[in-house]
Amino acid sequence: MTPTPDTQHLTPDEIELWAQGLLPAARDVHLAQCAECRQTAERERKLLRELAQLPRFAPEFGFVERVMAKVKIPTPSGGFKS
Amino acid sequence: MAWAKRGHDPAFRELVRRYERPVFSLLYRMVRDRTLAEDLAQETFIKVLNAIGTYNPQYKFSSWIFKIANNAAIDHLRKREIDTLSLDGSPHARTPDEMSATALQLGDRGESPLQQVESRELGGAIERAIAQLRPEYRACILLRHVEGHSYEEIAEILDLPLGTVKTYIHRARNELRGYLQDRKE
Repeated sequence: MTPTPDTQHLTPDEIELWAQGLLPAARDVHLAQCAECRQTAERERKLLRELAQLPRFAPEFGFVERVMAKVKIPTPSGGFKS
Repeated sequence: MAWAKRGHDPAFRELVRRYERPVFSLLYRMVRDRTLAEDLAQETFIKVLNAIGTYNPQYKFSSWIFKIANNAAIDHLRKREIDTLSLDGSPHARTPDEMSATALQLGDRGESPLQQVESRELGGAIERAIAQLRPEYRACILLRHVEGHSYEEIAEILDLPLGTVKTYIHRARNELRGYLQDRKE
């Protein structure tokens, strides 16, 4: 008996799983057969890679000191020191 | 964290050092203005540290701090309504001239040194595409794909149902793919 082809397109969740290498093998079969899903998945993988490579920015030098100058630090006596 | 809850000064400093970059980066990408992002980041840390005694360790500390940071950004964007001003101009603009007059300008001549830094840091295609997302989508996509939070954590940070978070992230990714595709065509 010939197996029924998997015609259900990948969901956005499944595409994310595929981009992370976590898509179950059964759904990989559909991806191999469906050009539309492959194109979407490739574009998604490229986007996720770009997002993951975005740099973190640092505030200006002395940020910690500027924050600490305005924080009320509790003292053991129950008051605050600045 | 226990030391910080008892008001131990070095522990406070360590918390700020550990989270200053992720918190500042989120805020900077939300408001796209270095000075403003730093003010909002300061406000976030001051609120967090002054209320550290109320922190519930049942939740991730990073979720708590990102919740306060995101609220600060969203409050600011709502007040100033700069979220209605995209890189392509106001959505209310009806003619190309109106769009041009209201568009955010990046990389123009005559910009200040700080604006030049902002243009360099946020001027790439992906950054410009993120800037075009509505703020709720932008926060979701940054928390998920830049900071690596789970969908459940994002729902907690943004006070949104899990299904809404998933919908926002999927729509945001569709929009980003669209913007990036348009740019190439």
